[in-house]
Amino acid sequence: MTRTAYCFDLDGTLSAMEILPAIAAEIGFSEEVETLTRVTMDGHLSFAQSLRLRALLLGAVPIERVHRVVADLPLDEHLEQFVTDRADSCFVVTGNLGVWLTPMLDRLACPMVASIASHRDGHLRVDHVLDKGEFVRGLPSRGFDRVIAVGDGANDVPMLREATYGVAFGGVHSPTRSAVEAADYVVHEGRDLCRLLAEL
Amino acid sequence: MVEVGGRTILSRLIEEVERQTDRIHVVVGYREELIIQHCALHHRNVVLVRNPDFRTTQTIHSYRLGARGLPGPALFIDGDCLIAPGALGSFVEAARGHRSLVGLTPASSDHAVFAAVREGDRGTEVVGFDRATPEAQEWASVLITPADVLEGHENFVYEALAEHLPLPAATIELAEVDTTADLERAHVRAAQWWPAG
Repeated sequence: MTRTAYCFDLDGTLSAMEILPAIAAEIGFSEEVETLTRVTMDGHLSFAQSLRLRALLLGAVPIERVHRVVADLPLDEHLEQFVTDRADSCFVVTGNLGVWLTPMLDRLACPMVASIASHRDGHLRVDHVLDKGEFVRGLPSRGFDRVIAVGDGANDVPMLREATYGVAFGGVHSPTRSAVEAADYVVHEGRDLCRLLAEL
Repeated sequence: MVEVGGRTILSRLIEEVERQTDRIHVVVGYREELIIQHCALHHRNVVLVRNPDFRTTQTIHSYRLGARGLPGPALFIDGDCLIAPGALGSFVEAARGHRSLVGLTPASSDHAVFAAVREGDRGTEVVGFDRATPEAQEWASVLITPADVLEGHENFVYEALAEHLPLPAATIELAEVDTTADLERAHVRAAQWWPAG
């Protein structure tokens, strides 16, 4: 029997709103971080550069407040159900910082891979930026025969390209041109995405 | 994305298909960005299937991409078909009890693939396709069939179907728009089908 891994981007894919602007709202930088997110998604700034910049800005928000924001973030209800029903074959693959996202682990109960950061000298420093393509390339060694990846931005492109099937998802906003070009499918509603995933 | 009667053929087609099913896959190649944007605004329930090789492949390749993963028979329609109100429902109804049903329409288009038919105990059946020999009916580019019927061919859909003849067929009222002359005829039909626009 073919074993399929489902890899989901988090921000704007599983989550029904962008996470970093929501965190930034805690310190009044929502619009600035939203702009930074947009130019990064469009590929005008490298994801690694952008993440370091965003960590520098948002590192000022106490981690407890970040966790409260993340815990309350709405998820796409259809995708949340899909992941919950298949927790042993779903992965949240996010370039975002794992240290911010621990409340998501409780909600989705499936493995999450994320970028790594640590607090040093009073600042939040990014230690490792996740390469989503590299993660997908490693899935066969975990017993998966094929991979279906879902994402919406420039940093999802390596994951969408490496997957057996890539889906550019426009649930929160339109997927970027680069994500569309790396994908086999473009879907705009969670319900339709889940039906497609279940049948591929 | 051509408009007839003030609305795109694509939107009219999607809305006709929505009356039959809530699973709609639109295969996109040429000007995909425009179509994706159109669907993001007006038809968010549609799954868009990309065919990056559209320049070097035929419609049958798009049909297969669109049907990937779908179990059982699927309804295939070319994206440039203007279908008369209610005609698709009658066609779907006629397909009940058949594994495949081929859509035919009175020959009128500029690049017709003519269909030879016979009437028998099992109703109307297609017995041959030919571009050169005129017949009263032409292949309507509408088909209900399991995707495996389309395997093994890279040229034209009717060539894949030819291997399975005779096949049950039913007439469907539509106007296919391949040329400027087809479009002019489609405008006339649209004015009859949707007199209020």
